[in-house]
Amino acid sequence: MRKAKSLLRWVGMSTAFAGLLAFGFKVQGVEKAVAEAGDINSISENIRADIIVIDGLRAFGKLDRPEVIFLHDAHTQALKKKDKDCKTCHLVEKNRPAGAQQDALSFRFKRLEDAGRDQMMEIYHAECIACHKETARAGDKSGPVEKCGQCHRKKVPYLANRQPIVMDKSLHYRHVEATKDEAGEEKCGLCHHEYDDIAKKIHYVKDKEGSCRYCHKSEPGKTEKDRMPLREALHLSCVNCHRKAIAEKKDPDQKIGAVTCVGCHDLEEQEKIKKIPDVPRLKRKQPDYVLLQGAKKNVSEAKKEDEATGVAPVAFNHVAHEGYQETCRSCHHADLTSCTEACHTPEGVKDGNYIQLAQAAHDLRSNHSCMGCHGIQQKKKECSGCHATMFRSFNQETAACRTCHIKLPENLMVEQAKLESVAKQLVDSRKYTKTTYAKEDIPEKVVIKVLADQYEPAEFPHRKIVDTLVKKVETSNLATYFHREKGTLCQGCHHNSPPDKKPPRCRSCHGKPFDAHAVLRPGMKGAYHQQCIGCHQNMGLEKPKSTDCAGCHKEKKKQS
Amino acid sequence: MGISRRQFLGWMGATGMGIAAGKSSYAAGNKHFTGYPESFGVLFDSTLCIGCRSCEAACNKVNQLPDPDKPFDDLSVLNKTRRTDAKAYTVVNRHDDTAGNKGPVFGKIQCNHCLEPACASACFVRAFKKTPQGAVTYDASVCVGCRYCMIACPFYVPAYEYDEPLTPRVMKCTMCHPRILEGKLPGCVEACPKEALSFGKREDLIQLGRQRIRRLPDRYVDHIYGEHEMGGTSWLYLSGVPFEKLGMREDLGVTAAPNLTSGALASVPIIAGLWPVLLTGIYAVSKRKDKIAAEEKRQAVENALSKAAADAEAEIAKALKQAEIANKRKIEVEVKRAVEQATAKKTEEES
Repeated sequence: MRKAKSLLRWVGMSTAFAGLLAFGFKVQGVEKAVAEAGDINSISENIRADIIVIDGLRAFGKLDRPEVIFLHDAHTQALKKKDKDCKTCHLVEKNRPAGAQQDALSFRFKRLEDAGRDQMMEIYHAECIACHKETARAGDKSGPVEKCGQCHRKKVPYLANRQPIVMDKSLHYRHVEATKDEAGEEKCGLCHHEYDDIAKKIHYVKDKEGSCRYCHKSEPGKTEKDRMPLREALHLSCVNCHRKAIAEKKDPDQKIGAVTCVGCHDLEEQEKIKKIPDVPRLKRKQPDYVLLQGAKKNVSEAKKEDEATGVAPVAFNHVAHEGYQETCRSCHHADLTSCTEACHTPEGVKDGNYIQLAQAAHDLRSNHSCMGCHGIQQKKKECSGCHATMFRSFNQETAACRTCHIKLPENLMVEQAKLESVAKQLVDSRKYTKTTYAKEDIPEKVVIKVLADQYEPAEFPHRKIVDTLVKKVETSNLATYFHREKGTLCQGCHHNSPPDKKPPRCRSCHGKPFDAHAVLRPGMKGAYHQQCIGCHQNMGLEKPKSTDCAGCHKEKKKQS
Repeated sequence: MGISRRQFLGWMGATGMGIAAGKSSYAAGNKHFTGYPESFGVLFDSTLCIGCRSCEAACNKVNQLPDPDKPFDDLSVLNKTRRTDAKAYTVVNRHDDTAGNKGPVFGKIQCNHCLEPACASACFVRAFKKTPQGAVTYDASVCVGCRYCMIACPFYVPAYEYDEPLTPRVMKCTMCHPRILEGKLPGCVEACPKEALSFGKREDLIQLGRQRIRRLPDRYVDHIYGEHEMGGTSWLYLSGVPFEKLGMREDLGVTAAPNLTSGALASVPIIAGLWPVLLTGIYAVSKRKDKIAAEEKRQAVENALSKAAADAEAEIAKALKQAEIANKRKIEVEVKRAVEQATAKKTEEES
């Protein structure tokens, strides 16, 4: 009897111990999960493109509770499983905004208008919680139903990586093709429209198409009256059209744009969108060639001015530049009219933010200006070997100005000349330098021994490098046009002296380091290493590694 | 040789100012020390550094430091972030976490040779000295090994020979001061193949830094580290990424370390001089108070005693008087009774 009692006591004690142990592990497990959720970067699932911050009440004053971080696609998926669609949350626009599709859905949650703080709060609380409750009742995984802090979280383990999607030429072309009617007619009016301020209606005007952003601005408060902000306009237009197309889809292989957040705004998904390499030119009656010349309209006037001041109009190859750019907005940042017509006049006006035509063309820091964009091209790997360390300045020698401001030819038929044809003539007269000096004039190898001390002299494969450089730039019109002379390419290394078949030796300038009178001029050792290694790094050449000394010059054997 | 009135007043005024403005004694002068003119410095351009460790090797050789565990051409050392120690006056570190940059960037650490060194101001035996040539030198012969310099240095540079039992020294970069005096370049500068290290007059180096930034504004952060940090240093830095990414402190401010402590330190003599006087005064005052209190007490007791004596006397006198009256009356009564008795006796006898 007594033995049994003691046994029972032991059993009881060990059960309690095991229970405690299990509890401890469980608590630890939970803590671990929380810690993991805190470390956002460790879980790719938590870096999402579908994060919507519900903070609409901000418009009515300070928020009482933290805003709600809403995962849109998680909800879409959950609804899809139950055969529910967008209409579960989004209402049909009754007075559908101009331009919206039939049966278009509003992008507000369960409402068409933001009527007021209380109404909005009521809608979110009633509708969200009701659906969560219903889901929970059906035994499915559901969102929070009672505790405020479960939705209004101070800290959320999510990170937004929403990427803006760019309607580039390829994507635009695919839309053009997909929306053609049976007769093969393009239906630009499906998206592009003009707004009639008086009739308060939109209508399509042919050859007036432009980027949505010209009217629907992305910055809050910048959009004009009666126009939707960019975000609203785009979602209403794109997603509703995609929805309609999906509903009407007949061919299962037909590719239709996404209706989920991820479909457009996730980087990986964006990369999956097929790129069409050679997109036909957009047709909007734009010129092929433009004579950029400020306010002057007449060729003979321009000619006179050139003779007087040396500033000839610039012939601009519009058709070629269309091919170089992804969107029209790359240059036409505000609208699709001529730069100088209303904004960047030669003297500058308010509409152009007082930026004169010269600034608009030469500003080195702008992405839209000629020289600014050319500078961006110089950052490409094949160019940056030489150009990354070159000082760019707006101030150049007159000869350099003449590269673009070509002197109008004497034999120009002024009387019958149309500006566009003059521009074409000038563009066609351009000469491109695709080659450099003759092979025999380029030393094949250069042995650099002036510094040889710790290492053997370096054998520099001079001609091989020249050939590589020529090959890298010969396909670029920008490079071959602006590299005016045969020796221009050589000046990447043989700098600060005029282009010549026989440039001065490096050591004519570079000698002892740290000359206080020419602080920017490196010494001989620095000059060689900076030039070679710097160029290799900028061009992304992995071999030889910058720290592999013997890759260029063999180590000298120690004399024993 | 006499002292003029003007001179005397000047001295008095200066003394007064010194005491009154002890907290900002340097500000009382009209001079702000901006380094020795014509002093040398080194400019490190991290955009040019390729992390080859040539500078480390040269430093080791020039300063005759012990051989490292791994040879200098072993770049796997860079996988770990290092600090200067007793066997390495300078180290190069690789920093990979620089988003948007083409590759890793390299930072170099060594003594920055402050214009007004914290180590020198912390050292009470003056083992450290800022030389007019720019270097902050160390004299092991006077060092007592307190290692205050190591605590004072905002860059965590000085190291200590902990494994040297008899004559441990503080170890740090000397800017190759002896070589500079000989007209040679510092070892690391001479060895750098890319001239990522430039040697020259500090003023010229600042100009060089400015020109490099101006020429290629996209390449550099628009700041020369060391131009003003901690009151300025002789070692200057250029970078293409925020300096914090090179493991450099950006929270140091522009005030030299001695200026930060001069206020507190300047008040030491004042406190040392004034406290005895103050404390003696307080002691005297409180002593006097006690004395006065004792006197007053005695007086009060005396007064009380004398008053009590007087009261008692008066009472006695009163009592005596009363007693006298009572006696008188008693006598009178007795007399009266005796008279009555006698009278009665007489009448009895008579009747």
